Amino acid sequence: MSDKTEPIGPASVVVVSGGSRGLGLAIVEDILAQGAKVAAFARTVTPELEAVAAAHPDRVVAASVDVTDVKAINAFLKDAESRLGPIDALVNNAAMGQDSLHVHTSPEQIAKIIETNLTAPLLLARAVLRRIMAKGNRGRIVMVTSVCAQRGYSGLVAYSATKGGLDSAMRTLAREMHGRALVNSVAPGFFASEMSSVLGQTQLDTITRRTPSGRLVEPDNIVPVVNMLLFKDTNINGQVLTVDGGNSI
Amino acid sequence: MSALSRDAIRTMMAEVLQAQGKSMPADDSANLEEIGFRSLDFSELALRVEDEIGDELNFDAPELRQIATISDVLDFLEQLQAA
Repeated sequence: MSDKTEPIGPASVVVVSGGSRGLGLAIVEDILAQGAKVAAFARTVTPELEAVAAAHPDRVVAASVDVTDVKAINAFLKDAESRLGPIDALVNNAAMGQDSLHVHTSPEQIAKIIETNLTAPLLLARAVLRRIMAKGNRGRIVMVTSVCAQRGYSGLVAYSATKGGLDSAMRTLAREMHGRALVNSVAPGFFASEMSSVLGQTQLDTITRRTPSGRLVEPDNIVPVVNMLLFKDTNINGQVLTVDGGNSI
Repeated sequence: MSALSRDAIRTMMAEVLQAQGKSMPADDSANLEEIGFRSLDFSELALRVEDEIGDELNFDAPELRQIATISDVLDFLEQLQAA
């Protein structure tokens, strides 16, 4: 008998937090295109996610759940499993942003950012891994973090702390789940759409010029990386894959 | 403690500038970039106002980015105190 651990198979039922719009919705659509099933939730289910769920009633469970509501999350996971089968993957995508200097961010707001961006994803990962392990299965976890975890950007102190915390937890989980789960992070740079809302065209042009690839990152650049971590046999584990056109190098 | 008057905030702003060897123009339409009043100077001023009124004046960065003149600074700090 070989002592080699067999590769963890491609995901079949994926939980996606913050799956109702933007990058989360794009990930949901990509998972479906891959042929897998999705349990997606967000604080508000958008018409776009409703339409996706209606088009794939046997492969999508979508619900309005606050990521910080542990009881509601557990009920959602249980319901999703009863309808889709055993969950074996998670994309921890839900997060809230920040755009305020640390000295002018209220303690309440800092606590809210930490709860939403760090505590809630850790509890969600815990809940999903407990379900995977209880059934003797193996799985995959993808944390959507940020280049902010690696570089300093003004106005994002608490946000960066949560993303750095999540990257650290990811590495430890990857080791802790030894052979039972592949755990990785995808760290996008700033999306062009996000930056254009706060920066002028001149600043955007400067950032683009300083990005070695010559292009600002788009959600479509992140989706294939998440797809690889969910479905391919790469043996990538405990890593942060930064997708920012090389801006942070 | 009650809110600081516009004049009191103006005096504090002058103090922030003076501490850096800069002077406060008489004209409130003066451009902040031209007088060398940067975003962290605004932070310092806001924190000084907080100290005086005994309350925090927290705000997001986009609001700060709209500020271009002395008048904008005074307007914004008055609004924050009233909020």
